[in-house]
Amino acid sequence: MSNFTMDRRRFLGAGLGVASMPLWGSVPGFAADGAQLRMVWWGSEERARRTKEAVKAFEGVNAGVTVASESMGWDDYWPRLATQVAGGNAPDFIQMDYRYMFEYARRGTILPLDQYMGSALKIADFGDVNLKSCSVDGKLYGANVGVNAFGTIVDTAAWQEVGIAAPTYGTNWEQYAEKAAAYGKAAKGKKKYASADGSGNENLFEGWLIARGKSLYKDDGSLGYEPSDAAEWFKFWAAMRKSGGCVPADVQALYKNTIETSPLTLGYTASDFGFSNQFVGFQKMNKPALALTAQPVVANGKPGHYLKPSQMFSVYAKSKAPEVTAKLINFLVRDPAGAMILGVERGVPASPAIRDALIPQLDGPSSEVVKFISALTPYVGSLPPAPPQGAGEMNAALIRISQEVAFEASTPEAGGATLIAEAKSVLKKG
Amino acid sequence: MSDEARVLPGQGSDHPYLRSALSHCLLMAASFVMLYPILWMLAGSLRPAEDLFGGGANLIPSQVTVAAYPQGWFGLQVNFGHFFLNSLLISSLATLGNVFAASLAAYAFARLNFFGRNFWFALMLGTLMLPYHVTLIPQYVLFLNLDWINTWLPLIVPKYFAVDAFFIFLMVQFFRGIPRELDEAAQMDGCSPWRIYYKIILPLSLPVLATAAIFSFIWTWEDFFGPLIYISDMNLYTVQLGLRSFVDSSGTSSWNELFAMSVLSLIPIFLIFLFFQRLLIEGIATTGMKR
Amino acid sequence: MSVSERSAAATGKGESSALARSLRGAVRRNAPGYLFLAPWLIGFLCLTLGPALVSLYLSFTDFDLLQAPNFVGMQNYIRMATADPKFIAAMRVTFLYVILSVPLKLAFALAVAMMLNRGLTGLPVYRAIFYLPSLLGASVAIAVLWRQLFAADGMINSVLAIFGIEGPSWISNPRYSLYTLVVLSVWQFGSPMIIFLAGLRQIPTDMYEAASLDGASSSRQFWKITLPLLSPVIFFNFVIQTIEAFKAFTPAFIVSGGTGGPINSTLFYTLYLYQEAFGNFRMGYASALAWVLVIIIAIFTAFSFLSTRYWVHYDE
Repeated sequence: MSNFTMDRRRFLGAGLGVASMPLWGSVPGFAADGAQLRMVWWGSEERARRTKEAVKAFEGVNAGVTVASESMGWDDYWPRLATQVAGGNAPDFIQMDYRYMFEYARRGTILPLDQYMGSALKIADFGDVNLKSCSVDGKLYGANVGVNAFGTIVDTAAWQEVGIAAPTYGTNWEQYAEKAAAYGKAAKGKKKYASADGSGNENLFEGWLIARGKSLYKDDGSLGYEPSDAAEWFKFWAAMRKSGGCVPADVQALYKNTIETSPLTLGYTASDFGFSNQFVGFQKMNKPALALTAQPVVANGKPGHYLKPSQMFSVYAKSKAPEVTAKLINFLVRDPAGAMILGVERGVPASPAIRDALIPQLDGPSSEVVKFISALTPYVGSLPPAPPQGAGEMNAALIRISQEVAFEASTPEAGGATLIAEAKSVLKKG
Repeated sequence: MSDEARVLPGQGSDHPYLRSALSHCLLMAASFVMLYPILWMLAGSLRPAEDLFGGGANLIPSQVTVAAYPQGWFGLQVNFGHFFLNSLLISSLATLGNVFAASLAAYAFARLNFFGRNFWFALMLGTLMLPYHVTLIPQYVLFLNLDWINTWLPLIVPKYFAVDAFFIFLMVQFFRGIPRELDEAAQMDGCSPWRIYYKIILPLSLPVLATAAIFSFIWTWEDFFGPLIYISDMNLYTVQLGLRSFVDSSGTSSWNELFAMSVLSLIPIFLIFLFFQRLLIEGIATTGMKR
Repeated sequence: MSVSERSAAATGKGESSALARSLRGAVRRNAPGYLFLAPWLIGFLCLTLGPALVSLYLSFTDFDLLQAPNFVGMQNYIRMATADPKFIAAMRVTFLYVILSVPLKLAFALAVAMMLNRGLTGLPVYRAIFYLPSLLGASVAIAVLWRQLFAADGMINSVLAIFGIEGPSWISNPRYSLYTLVVLSVWQFGSPMIIFLAGLRQIPTDMYEAASLDGASSSRQFWKITLPLLSPVIFFNFVIQTIEAFKAFTPAFIVSGGTGGPINSTLFYTLYLYQEAFGNFRMGYASALAWVLVIIIAIFTAFSFLSTRYWVHYDE
């Protein structure tokens, strides 16, 4: 299948003569030489507007360089990118996600950027944590575009209404359960609950494991926890459901890992869990003012949070202009002329200089996110081992098994055992 | 001839007015059920974003705002009017090709005898069965080789080669319903297959041609996976690609704008439907005389 | 037709050998068919066949989208047959969906088409309204609309509450979620309805007139005239809807957010195939899944065609 991938070709306006139609508009050519880049990201229209403005600024200061950009929603992004990679025709500049980074980097699809460090890419001030979180097997595969952390999103007013203090930094899991149960009693009959059901949330589960000295995976890619850990986790949430502290199974099952299907947005709960870069989106879809705080802690446990990139900018391994692409990345994340235009829309910038310059201009929800990241410092531990191949399937398995327990098709103990059994077959398949 | 004029003998009852009033009640109730989700979408385009998802089954917005319409229309870098024109052009060209090419092939399968007819027919049906996800990548590579990426050609040209077997099969079934005596008589008179095709078969098949045109236009209009894979430049976007730009499941989505533009995007295809429906209905005038 | 005329003239001269004559005869008999078939044939050979064969080849490889594929023999098919519980789950969901949605949708479409055929004022408007849901197609808005209907606080439960019934969250309960997708499929009955309408329009009205004069009741007219004359169209709708139902992807993808959940209750076959291909980077395995589906659908379609001699009436 050597002819399966191929080089980019120049666009030909032939056939049917449609290229000359006025409706067609101007068609930017595909890169034939190093000066023409293609760039792709996922995200909202707000992100597209900011990014295109910043790219224009880059073109302004780099004569001869033109950038054609493509953007779409998350669901469409990955099959499209994979198709382009399979055709050998992916854009030079690729926005990456933490989990997909491992898949793409290990298969040689994105370029290690270490060679450009200090020259095209001047991001040493990001610090060890933010460089390591964009690395696979010791090589840097992307520039961190936004520092991200998992947390609890709280509708403070709803908690106040029933006279219970909302969970905050340092609230431990037992306290969280007590508060939730008390909330459930106070709001009985209103179909309103304190908390989402977090049993199928891998990020939350991971934070809980880390705080207990375990992890999702070990360095060798094997599972970092025992059946008893998973069983205890499922038991905790079974008790939450029983006490009326969290939503019943069928409400939680509405959640499709999107903001608009969160039980908080749908009006069922007074709190939910999410990433800090989703907070602005949550606020947009929710009428009450929301607050962002740490996830519950384990009493006398270790810090369970860690910082990871909300997304990163990477370079396609077959790019004909990797250096210019690296320059564009640097412009967007480190050069104030570009980075200030992107703002905190993708997350809190990893560069302290950019962050400090941005803070004064932030509005409510965005400044809440910046405050959260700095307030989180005492709860942040080191980066856990990299997820092995098959980690995505394990995430799906956790959701499914947590639902089996929640709908009482299985017990917490059986659920824990099934999860470990599936991990063994999935991680072996790779 | 209008629909109303064609009440058939035997279908009339002793109480025609009562009967038709009852029918109308039933149809109107059914219409509401059919329309409820679309009414909700319309309502969704008119309410503030933070009211969208917490409100349960409420159809009437607490607060009405039309802001989502201009915001949606002008909110992307290229305005929606442009996408509408693109979609209209693509769908029209695709429809033309589809109806033409599919009717040719269908005529061959339905009326002409040739070696390997059943073999090709089976293969044609077979093309309906393979999920497109697994041919996506080889097809992409094919169009990449032809230098068709980031153009409309992959969305239009295949239709001129009747790649969608649905339409061929549909027309075959209808062509076979046309009495054979008609083309046999024409053949006696020395008519070539081509003349029989466009003098007898096509005129007698207006209902199915209208049906094919409706589906062809609407399905091309609605298709998003093809445009998604092949089109990058926003100036070439179709309406569906524009709509999907409002939604990013990983972060912030503009649901109001999505609903507003979705409502607008239904209007052209709704009109197309109404227009072709007339052809579909008028078909009876010709087929009615066929014996 | 010029081809046949020319051939006829050539044979008339009688100067060719028997072989050439029979060859010419074959050309004369087959040429018109192949000429009409040409656009499709070119499209099939150039655009459709190649990608299909590549996907067949990929089903014997470990293709992961990002790297060149390696040949692995029957491994994908063996895994499917022996070690994949999700494959079984997806089969179950898909067969249930086909069995439920196809007859319901067709019965509904035929009944409405008969109602909307003739005899009432305002029929064009009703037809358009009944087709409107099908216009929504694969719109992402469907996910929100369906939740609005079938969630715990949705429209359906509001109506049930009037009768004092507290309904579950239909759409997110593994026991009912598949049925909400069956309802979605039936709700979008517009396409078969239109095809039925076109079919009904082709039935000559004089046949009904003659039957009425003979005193045939309307139910007798339905069984003796409408059904037989409509049978090619019914057959078409049946075959197409069944193929489409086997391949159903979009409803589950949109409504379940691509998960096939809760608990695999909406894990349609092609949704699973998509997850394997693009979520888990196993395009080779996904291709094998696709070809197994092709075989299943082909067997089913073959039986449908064999059955036509018992109930489908062509006017030839």
